[in-house]
Amino acid sequence: MVERIEDLNLPNAVIARLIKEALPEGSNVSKEARAAIAKAASVFAIFITSSSTALAHKQNHRTITAKDILQTLNELDFESFVPSLTQDLEVYRKMVKDKKESKANNKKDVSAGDAAASSSSAAVAADNEDAT
Amino acid sequence: MVDSDNTQLQHKASADTFLPLSRVRTIMKSSMDTGLITNEVLFLMTKCTELFVQHLAREAYTTSCAKQNSDTLKYEHLSQLVNKSKNLEFLLQIVPEKIRVHEFQEMLRLNRSNASDEDEETCSESESEDE
Repeated sequence: MVERIEDLNLPNAVIARLIKEALPEGSNVSKEARAAIAKAASVFAIFITSSSTALAHKQNHRTITAKDILQTLNELDFESFVPSLTQDLEVYRKMVKDKKESKANNKKDVSAGDAAASSSSAAVAADNEDAT
Repeated sequence: MVDSDNTQLQHKASADTFLPLSRVRTIMKSSMDTGLITNEVLFLMTKCTELFVQHLAREAYTTSCAKQNSDTLKYEHLSQLVNKSKNLEFLLQIVPEKIRVHEFQEMLRLNRSNASDEDEETCSESESEDE
């Protein structure tokens, strides 16, 4: 749950870096513009989440899937994001699969990354969801 | 979406994210009735938000900033973009166009005089005054 409102802010340094990458060399960003983009990004995430949730509910699913998000993006006029995200998702799924296999083969510790906070059963659940 | 090809060309698919997943999860949870969030969905939303940040910056820069011959992206460039893009409508109250105090007072004054004349048309009238 959200305890403090600042918990909804995205880290400034990361936002600054993403913006810098998107703009041509030698361009600057005012502090105010950066703060506005950070705020907009949080609102965007909430907006897409709630739209995807609504879409999932309409199909009588209780949880959202990757497909729901991609479809929501299409519906909300962000279809330009979909090709890139589909590629990312493929890479991610392959990584999860590889990780699972190498774990099964030899109980070697594959660096789990900060994503693995929740159990891997969630990932299995996701795969099952997508199959249906 | 003029830059869709552009985005794709520059894009290199990767399973790494820049934004912290835990923070994105907190943000997603803050929306009511969000059920279970799978790792895959969390990853996708994080990537998606990153793309959005870059999209917003790039569009605001190319459509407003570069046109006004400025190399600094300013707040007003963002609010201009939000104001004219249909798919950014959800940001209208987050990134509103700024107005000056005396402009605001003028608006209030007009509003009040309209209200006393004809109550019903206050809304539509005051909106057209803004532009």
